[in-house]
Amino acid sequence: MSIPGLTVIGESINDSVPSTRILFEENDIDGIVALAKTQAEKGASYIDVNVGSRSPSFMAEVVKKIQERISLPLSIDTPDPELASAGLEAYNPERAGNRKPILNSISEARLEMFDLYARRAFVPILLVTEGLDASREMIMNTTAAQIHGSAKAMVSNARKRIDHIENDQIILDPGIMPIGSDSKGDFRRLMEAMALIHQDKDLADVSMSVGLSNFTAMLPSKRADGSPVKSPLESAFLTMAMPLGLNTIIGSVSRKYTLLTDEDPAMQCLKDALKLEGVDIIMRVMMYFS
Amino acid sequence: MQEIVEKIAMYVAKGKVSKSAWWPPEMKDQDGADEYAAEAIKNGVQPSVLLEGCILGMERIGKEFGENKAFVTNLIVSGVAMNAVLKHIKPFLESGEVKRKGTFVIGTVTGDMHDIGKNLVSMIIKGGGFEVIDLGVDVPTNKFLDAIAQHPGCFVGLSALLTTTKRNMATSVEAIRKASPDTKVLIGGAPITKDFCTQIGADFYSPNPNEAVEFLNKSVA
Repeated sequence: MSIPGLTVIGESINDSVPSTRILFEENDIDGIVALAKTQAEKGASYIDVNVGSRSPSFMAEVVKKIQERISLPLSIDTPDPELASAGLEAYNPERAGNRKPILNSISEARLEMFDLYARRAFVPILLVTEGLDASREMIMNTTAAQIHGSAKAMVSNARKRIDHIENDQIILDPGIMPIGSDSKGDFRRLMEAMALIHQDKDLADVSMSVGLSNFTAMLPSKRADGSPVKSPLESAFLTMAMPLGLNTIIGSVSRKYTLLTDEDPAMQCLKDALKLEGVDIIMRVMMYFS
Repeated sequence: MQEIVEKIAMYVAKGKVSKSAWWPPEMKDQDGADEYAAEAIKNGVQPSVLLEGCILGMERIGKEFGENKAFVTNLIVSGVAMNAVLKHIKPFLESGEVKRKGTFVIGTVTGDMHDIGKNLVSMIIKGGGFEVIDLGVDVPTNKFLDAIAQHPGCFVGLSALLTTTKRNMATSVEAIRKASPDTKVLIGGAPITKDFCTQIGADFYSPNPNEAVEFLNKSVA
């Protein structure tokens, strides 16, 4: 599953995964720890911990119990400052070889989460798919230039709020949308945004991360010939995105991620998708898996 | 007439939008929903017949989707094919010559920007013969209330994808209940459950678009 230079945050401990949600609902901490262990064994570099909207004490318990069994750093995944605080405080860097946890994520609408750094140093994932308008209302960024603008603003915010933080300790999440419902050119916008971020000298050495499984969400698992759909399309995405600075994913440790050649049908599909508009993008993806 | 209904249903279910559309590959360079509907109207076919074909086509693709035989991609393309037909009967719908079964107001709740689920539900419900008023994403409660006032007797659908925005759904449902107790409220989205529906006092939780249409059909029967 490994590509040199790619950090994989194992995605399985997430409330939106139905089988994991059942573990949470049944308070099956052993089951959750086992999930962390499996991902560690399969090569994850970090373990994501997203407990949905459960209590801060539950987040703390999950973090502690996982750290009792594995020595990988964790990614505390919540937009809720209280849950983030509980997860970070429960985190013991010594159990992870003195490595910082990741905090996923901080956006312009919740800058106060930077203040948690004083209690526990972390590597922030900065969500740049959204920003604030003139009246400080949250808006979704709809162009690559807006995403780039939010990236600049958020890195500047991180530098103002966290003393001595360097760009290589910051991760940007430019947002990835399912290619199977991409009638608005979301994929093209993402590639353009990553290119703008990558070319920006002020953002040199900043990492970029996406939730890669989202890219192939809702697509069938197999093509008409029985070969897989998701691993090749996600690999094609990585092949195109890593030269633009993508170096981290929240993803599945079960996928076989590889870099593909231009002739690979999955690469052809995504290259065509970049040139198409509207529902033609979706039709091109259907041609790939049919 | 049944032949025309079937033909429209076939174009919609297969997602053959127009002659120039390259999906499905086996129908390359053949006429699609757009050309067929235009020709039918020109030949004096009742617009309601075309609407019936749309309903049947969307019902078929929705059923296949429910059985994992079709995917979101198919639903979207079928929705586009349906819209290609509806474009030709729009004047008759607007004049009231062709009646819809009812009005469905839909939106993603405050703080939530996700629209894929909402759009799919909108498409299937529109295909089910209802007028759909799509309020978009990040919809504040008062916008739902305004739409209910503007469309008396409408149904309302609320969507949320985030566990963090479920509470906003509860707030909106409570306000709708208070302002318009008879309005039927449907809810859906990844973190939503039947228990949550009961807890917040909504009328129906739909795990998929088809069950929402079935609920609406029963309500207007």
